[in-house]
Amino acid sequence: MKKIPRHILTACLLCVFVAAMVVYLGITFRSAKEKEPIYPGPGVTGQEMLSKYCPNLEGSAGDTEIYILDSGVPGASMLVLGGTHPNEPSGYIAAISLIETAKPTSGILYVIPRANASAFTCNDPQEGSPMRFTIQTAGGDRWFRFGSRATNPIDQWPDSEVYVHASSGQTLSGSEIRNLNRAYPGRQDGTLTERVAYGITQFIKEHNVTITVDLHEASPEYTTVNAIVAHENAMNLATLSLWELEEQMKITVEASPKNLHGLTHRELGDYTNTMALLMETANASQGRLHGTVTPEMVVTGEDKFYYRAGQYGALTVEYPATGIGISERCARHITALNEFCRSYDGTAGSIDLGNIPSYKEIIANGIGAYLASPAK
Amino acid sequence: MDIELICLLVMLAVFLLANLLLKLPVSVSMILGAIAGALTGGQGIPLRHMFEGTFTYLDTVLIISAAMLFMTVIQESGALEALNAAIVTRFYKVPALMLILLMLMIMFPGMITGSSTAAVLSAGALVAPVLMMIGIPKANTGAIVAMGAIMGMAAPPINIPALLIAGGVDMPYISFEGPLFFITIPCAIVAVLILGLKHCKNLDIEKLKGQLNLEIGKKYGFRLYLPILVLIVLLVVSKLVPSLPQLGTALIFLISSAVGLFTGKRFNVWQKALESMETTIPVLGKLMGVGMFIQVLTLVGARGWIVVSCLSLGTVMLYVFACTIMPGFGAISSYGAASVMGVPFLLVLLQTGGNNDIVLCCMLSFLCCLGDLMPPTALAGNYAAQIVGLKYSPVLKKCVIPFLICLIAGLVCMIFSGSLSFLTA
Repeated sequence: MKKIPRHILTACLLCVFVAAMVVYLGITFRSAKEKEPIYPGPGVTGQEMLSKYCPNLEGSAGDTEIYILDSGVPGASMLVLGGTHPNEPSGYIAAISLIETAKPTSGILYVIPRANASAFTCNDPQEGSPMRFTIQTAGGDRWFRFGSRATNPIDQWPDSEVYVHASSGQTLSGSEIRNLNRAYPGRQDGTLTERVAYGITQFIKEHNVTITVDLHEASPEYTTVNAIVAHENAMNLATLSLWELEEQMKITVEASPKNLHGLTHRELGDYTNTMALLMETANASQGRLHGTVTPEMVVTGEDKFYYRAGQYGALTVEYPATGIGISERCARHITALNEFCRSYDGTAGSIDLGNIPSYKEIIANGIGAYLASPAK
Repeated sequence: MDIELICLLVMLAVFLLANLLLKLPVSVSMILGAIAGALTGGQGIPLRHMFEGTFTYLDTVLIISAAMLFMTVIQESGALEALNAAIVTRFYKVPALMLILLMLMIMFPGMITGSSTAAVLSAGALVAPVLMMIGIPKANTGAIVAMGAIMGMAAPPINIPALLIAGGVDMPYISFEGPLFFITIPCAIVAVLILGLKHCKNLDIEKLKGQLNLEIGKKYGFRLYLPILVLIVLLVVSKLVPSLPQLGTALIFLISSAVGLFTGKRFNVWQKALESMETTIPVLGKLMGVGMFIQVLTLVGARGWIVVSCLSLGTVMLYVFACTIMPGFGAISSYGAASVMGVPFLLVLLQTGGNNDIVLCCMLSFLCCLGDLMPPTALAGNYAAQIVGLKYSPVLKKCVIPFLICLIAGLVCMIFSGSLSFLTA
């Protein structure tokens, strides 16, 4: 094996090269901290920060916006969580679409579009993901970040070898310590991720939120995909909604496993009075089988390897050659949210999200038609 | 031919050309392979991706560096010599039992940390001189240490590939102990007996005493073992009482090393620390190179091509590929093998019916752990060879037979996972 010659000039050149790389890459990585603009629509009546419910979050990378869409008519309330996993874009795009276009006519809608704000500021190593992607709207292209499944290690590090979930003692892989959807109900003085989970749990408790829906995506080979996962206290609501949803899309309802802890559909149902639900759609850009993930592929879902894997029977969903686009995935989320509100008949009163586009309309017009145009 | 396959072939060709023909270090060769693959895939020179890929190994690099310091400290302080003398004089009459106990000693840090490197550099460094002293050749000693470290990495309570696969399919890490002990303990015993027993059947203790330093233990007494004791206590306590602030394996090695500075012979700490880092930097460089390589592999779509090609096979070939590709992927990263290959393999194998998901997950993780013997990274083999003062190829050659036995054992357990369900009760 050749040894690199040890010479002062070599060392100096390497130092200069490394310094240049640090500056260049530092600027590149810092650009992920710039937030994509969200344009509150006519339904938004207020905005809070999550740190109000967990003061330990104030000034941290975990603090995040809560948008309030209060109809002014007393009724039930719904909390929508987007961006729990920022590498699952239809979750937060659907949430942003609600903020920008929904106008409830009864009850209150709360939306947290970037539930794990820190995870928007990095990508998962070795996944080769793009940092941004764009969606075409009526007034031009809007850019959005493609983030990581987990909190940025800059904000929470190091990971322990094994993650022990605080309230249950369940053990998981160490990297899951930065996964917001393994941190519920959270701890006020815990890790950043646990503090975010705690803030969300406290918010639900203080506002006595009737229904909470966490919008996710899953890789198409995963077992729980195109599905609603429901805590036992929300199972009736999920089943009632399923009747209507099945007329428009293939979708299933699954029960939240009682022995899998830290997830919204388990812990928020156990620790609060909310009806906890979680939605999953098929996202090729987060799976293990995909080819190159370009910004376009994030939006179209078109991927020849997922198509092939579908032909081999290795997937749990039908995967067409044209992909499963973000419009269809957002349409699933938005339609299901609307259906949960319609199907709810509990004591908290009614909740009506207003003039929400239908499943067919979103697919026909594209999700960009239900996002605000970018500011000039 | 898919462009992704062309990228893969270009990456491998450039890597091999640079490493074997131009004799460049593995790390540099992997970087060149990554750049060539990215250029072929139309990605230019993706600096952001190359840098991002290395981050997977940041924690591993810290653990390795700290463990190397610990190894240096216990060697220089005299703790190692004293421990060797104590073990040999107590167990020389029953060599098979002695070998099995030494193997369990090698496994222990791997069981606690889930890292074969930590096992090689801590217990492996302690046990290797004993094995060589009782007559086991250097290459066989290195192989015993490497196999023991890998069995420790795969054994419960902490098996990180199993955690990664289980996490990928939302399976709680519960009831994994039975299947993991079932596969690792017999394989470890078979491996150590195959590699060591014939060399140490008739031990002459009087002859051995001439090679042992019996004085150093008497001079410093029990305090000589304090750094090892501190290491064991901190590792065990941090796992048994997770509610305590977690120090992390790297810091535990550093604390134990600091204790060792005051418990035995004095030595030039700065000089020895520099020497230990100098020996380990090539391996750390390999990890960085591997990080870049795998990120570009994903970026250009070659990872998808590999996984989908494997999944396109029938059930029989799926088992064959699980036994070849998954350990083979360990040449890049055994954790990567678990995450990239383990999850889709488990999902597809579960569709075939009659299998036990936990047993399957355990066996797939076991196969991933064997990947730590695969060159060029061969983390366990590399450090085991360094400990016995050899290059890693003779050590890896000695590992072939036990490796194949483990592979077959893992395959059989996978095929009959349904019948092994009782292990998860």
